[in-house]
Amino acid sequence: MQRSYNSRYWGFQLAGWGLFAALNIFFAFLFNKYNSVLIERLVFDVEMGVLFTHIMREVIRRSELLLKNLQQQIIIFVILTLIFSLLIASVVSPYEYFCGLKITPAGESVSYKELLFTNLVSFFTLLLIWNFIYFVYHFIVKSRKQQLDTLQLEALVKSLELKTIKAHINPHFIFNALNGIRALIDENPARARRAITELSNILRSSLNAEKGETVSLEDELKIVKDYLALENMRFEDRLKIEYEIDDDTLDQQVPPMMLQTLVENAIKHGISKNVKGGLVRIISDYTGNFHELAVQNTGRLNGGLSHQGFGLSSTQDRLNLLYGEKAKFEIKQINSDLVEAKVLIPH
Amino acid sequence: MKAIIIDDERLARAELRKLLQEFPEIEVVDEAANADEGLQKIESHNPDLIFLDIQMPGKTGFDMLSELDHSPQVIFTTAYDEYALKAFEVNALDYLLKPVEPRRLADAVEKLKRSGGSSVAEKINHYSEPATVLGENDQVFVKDGERCWFVKLSDVRLFESVGNYAKVFFGNNKPLILKSLNALEERLDDKVFFRANRKHIVNLRLIEKIEPYFNGGLLLELKGGEKIEVSRRQTVKFKEMMSL
Repeated sequence: MQRSYNSRYWGFQLAGWGLFAALNIFFAFLFNKYNSVLIERLVFDVEMGVLFTHIMREVIRRSELLLKNLQQQIIIFVILTLIFSLLIASVVSPYEYFCGLKITPAGESVSYKELLFTNLVSFFTLLLIWNFIYFVYHFIVKSRKQQLDTLQLEALVKSLELKTIKAHINPHFIFNALNGIRALIDENPARARRAITELSNILRSSLNAEKGETVSLEDELKIVKDYLALENMRFEDRLKIEYEIDDDTLDQQVPPMMLQTLVENAIKHGISKNVKGGLVRIISDYTGNFHELAVQNTGRLNGGLSHQGFGLSSTQDRLNLLYGEKAKFEIKQINSDLVEAKVLIPH
Repeated sequence: MKAIIIDDERLARAELRKLLQEFPEIEVVDEAANADEGLQKIESHNPDLIFLDIQMPGKTGFDMLSELDHSPQVIFTTAYDEYALKAFEVNALDYLLKPVEPRRLADAVEKLKRSGGSSVAEKINHYSEPATVLGENDQVFVKDGERCWFVKLSDVRLFESVGNYAKVFFGNNKPLILKSLNALEERLDDKVFFRANRKHIVNLRLIEKIEPYFNGGLLLELKGGEKIEVSRRQTVKFKEMMSL
């Protein structure tokens, strides 16, 4: 990693300074000013450029400049550029002056002051470009890494969420069901035996649910039916159940335990709060390009989604995770005494 | 001991009734399927004990209890309810988890028999007096947000009027109950509880100090340190009572 990083750095260095030298020679030829003095000067300039920018890079790395905030980074980069262009200019200028390279391409001699100033300006520009490339390169690398981290984190959260939601069976329900079964053992042994089978199915499916991201509606409905049969045992004539299932939709894939969550919610907020109980209706059908799953229950919606707690907000999250924007979920009062929770899944 | 079972599930009531057959001292006189029915049946049967489910349609068991003027002995029954369990643990109320373990039920009944003697005696007292007056040993159920208590009236040193509510002072607690001071005064035993002024009813047994106050009034200091002024008009009455 470090080695490939370093070789990439030297690649950039050589390419950059090479390009600088090549451009100089190209323009010298173009304007017919090419001579040996130019080459001698250029070689020294490039050597000094590579040397000082390498030192500058060490300074940047040692000071951990890239970890500071953006504003500080920009200010320090400009200051560094200024300091190092001063340093280079004060090395290059005496060399050029005393070795007789002070003649401009036009052939005129210049004073030391002028030479120093010209070198300062040109190296400042060069180092500014160098630093700009250095800065942008690291900025891109960093943000790409950040993006990758975010994606990995999201994927982790997604799988964790799915696991917790799937494993979620209300313990209140389990213990109430067991209590009901105990009473039925004397009263109606056959019903008690059936209830134990139903409860086993629910427990088993909640344990198995982690295996896949979706299940067929047929499998999901089996659990829901067992669940409702048990709730019917508890609520007796307070709970009425209706199914309106289009048989063609039974093969459709749905997120596991999602319909179950909606039904549980309908019982919790619709039936168990009402002294007279009510109706739960489960609908599965095609509408347009969507597979529509709906759970209706007697009762009134109170205070919007926030009031409905974990079950419904997790339904929305799960749909977003699995289908993105394409799936829809809403819960609303469809008439004075009926609440409907509806899921539209693209198919 | 007369008992009523209050639970919204018929099977749960049947199961508990069956378990209680083992305890001849507890006679289940009736059942109720929700809080309102429960309130009615408590009023008509005046039971010593109720078995009460927390989660019921309409009102919870806690809501029902706070509507009672005084509460019989209560054993809570619940399947699994994190919030209720927390309330129980904080306040050391007796509760049974459904399905009920017969041994736990036996323990709860045993505990009742040991502590409940006075309560039964009190009930006998009730019939001789107008049924509306609460004795010192009667308990009230007080709920203040998440916390709840059974409080014996003899432990209450002060009722303070706060708008439509009354603040109940006992121990280190002073929760609010939704009752007016006038309504409370009617129900409380006037041998024990005294209306000191427009805003306060004090427990005469829990007065620490009595000092003369300006304008011919009195200043009572209660066991909890509260200082209550007795209005001039009530001072006359107070002196009459105390001299007796």
